[in-house]
Amino acid sequence: MSTRCRQRTIDLGAARVAVSSTIASFNAQLDFIYRDQDLGPGSADFVDLRVALRPGSPWRRWRPQVTLWSEATRPFEPYPLQSALPLFEWGSNWLLVQRLNAYLLLHAGVVARADRALILPAAPGSGKSTLACALNLAGWRFLSDEFGVVDPATGAMLPLLKPAALKNRSIELIGGHAGAVLGPTFPGTRKGDVAHFVPDRDSVAARHQPARAAMVVFPRYRDGAPLRCSPLTKAEAALRLGLNSFNYRKLGPVGFDTVVRLVQTAPAWEIEYGTLADALPCIERLFGEAP
Amino acid sequence: MTPQPSAECALLLRGLREPLQIGGPQWDRVLRLARMTGLHGRLAAANLDSPALPDAVRRHLLSAARMSAFSARMLDAEIRAVAPLCTAEFPVIALKGGAYALQGLAFAHGRFVSDIDLLVPAAALRTMEHALQRAGWAAARLDPYDERYYRDWSHETPPMRFPGHVLELDLHHAITPVTGRLHFDPAPLFEASVAVPGSPFRVLAPEDQLLHACVHCFQDGDLALRLREIADIDGLLHSFAERPGFWPRLGERAHQLGLGHALWFGLHYARAWTHAPVPADVLASLPAPTGPAAWLMAHCTPLAMLPSDPDHPPSFAVRLARLAMLARYHLRRMPPHLLLPHLTRKAMLRLRARHGRGEGENDEGQP
Repeated sequence: MSTRCRQRTIDLGAARVAVSSTIASFNAQLDFIYRDQDLGPGSADFVDLRVALRPGSPWRRWRPQVTLWSEATRPFEPYPLQSALPLFEWGSNWLLVQRLNAYLLLHAGVVARADRALILPAAPGSGKSTLACALNLAGWRFLSDEFGVVDPATGAMLPLLKPAALKNRSIELIGGHAGAVLGPTFPGTRKGDVAHFVPDRDSVAARHQPARAAMVVFPRYRDGAPLRCSPLTKAEAALRLGLNSFNYRKLGPVGFDTVVRLVQTAPAWEIEYGTLADALPCIERLFGEAP
Repeated sequence: MTPQPSAECALLLRGLREPLQIGGPQWDRVLRLARMTGLHGRLAAANLDSPALPDAVRRHLLSAARMSAFSARMLDAEIRAVAPLCTAEFPVIALKGGAYALQGLAFAHGRFVSDIDLLVPAAALRTMEHALQRAGWAAARLDPYDERYYRDWSHETPPMRFPGHVLELDLHHAITPVTGRLHFDPAPLFEASVAVPGSPFRVLAPEDQLLHACVHCFQDGDLALRLREIADIDGLLHSFAERPGFWPRLGERAHQLGLGHALWFGLHYARAWTHAPVPADVLASLPAPTGPAAWLMAHCTPLAMLPSDPDHPPSFAVRLARLAMLARYHLRRMPPHLLLPHLTRKAMLRLRARHGRGEGENDEGQP
């Protein structure tokens, strides 16, 4: 399974990640998932994060493992060798959170029409990834699945293009859609089955174009629930954005000012839905009315 | 000849003091070494205003500066919260990071803190602990064994935390473990301590602060990547060394408290690595290590304390050196008849934890 070490730098938009690995299957998956974001092996220039995925001990024949190395340490427990991609995705997200504190990092999916962004902040299980992917497939520009990156200096939303990690039933739901590009399915990870949705090429090409926040939707998926959408006050929206952030508390006054500025320009809604067929038209209609 | 830090590590140490004039690729390496050693906040404090920075580098320095600002706010909050509990009955001395911040020392700017360390007389330990508990601080739940480890063999109470606070609070009654070889009666530390104007806290005398930093650097917990401790010693020297009579008082104090060896190590490496202003005759007057121990320390210290190449896992030599330093640390902390059962127990618990847990399950709560 191991061959020579391959190095590459992946351009996510708001950050660049250099990754090296000797694991051939993992390299092939990166080739596929980041096919339009690969800057090649040159790693001499400044990058935001450098990681290496190395196979565990060669003596461990039964259930071989993979380890993520960053700055000569192993910040996480090893994963099974075949789950190198989920380890890279999860681990690089975690490490980016530690060092992108020049920005407010919302835990949110972000999509856009032209330069107007829709922010979908939410806790795991609320359907944010599924919604972001469905909107991308419906012609919206994909900016992010995990990080709503806000630049406090300008208030702009910056794309951070990583594949969306779809879980369990969402894999079929999105994967069954014509035009959806998914990586391999990783069965039985700690979050269940996981497959990575690759954003469309136009979104990838636009990964250096910021967008302005036009609307915030807090999605809440509940099986069988009828569609219900209700407006949130600015105060409520600000509070909830702060709670759905990786670094709101740590940024202190910078985080507060950024969130307040965001809710003053972008109206906020809560949408409870049981099917995408209900949620999408509702979002399109509200977005059309938003400033 | 003491092995020197790599060129990039030397740049990092220089960058704690003055803005660096380097390009992107060099910044990449320097920033990574800074993160490995926990010095990125100080690097940011010294460089963020430099006009020549590449944008991406400025972003990372800004990120580090914001994190250290958060750490400073949390420290300030903790200090304000504990202040009302300090009474005239006994002195409460802030140690290390808390003390550096209270005194407004230059090198405290950008320095990360993860806990606040307080020193009270042993006779007042229970009183202070109960006052903290009444005010809401609580110790993490420990099993009776760990509880006893802290109470009987250590020099501090189990770490306490106020619900919702970020920083932990460690209450000490000495600055060296009571079972260790370096243990001494801390009474002279209290006698020489200094009140902090506008605050109920006291700090150690400058010489004692330096000695404590040296003891901490070479006698405490995780011996890997202790470059930060050397940077503290350097920072203290830049803050205090020009005061009249500092050096003679320091030498005398080290002799009195039996900390000559620790001081030699601290000053030696601060001078070799950060070019700290240490007069040669001061170093010569201290008891330098001799024999095989000296050889071992001279070879292991740089390997264990300086950051290794960030692109590769630590080499076998580095891992061996860290193991040797860890063994030395434990032996100085506890006599073998206490140490052996202690480490055996720890190893058993680790093994049990590893077997009782599935793969990749320890990573809750993050993206």
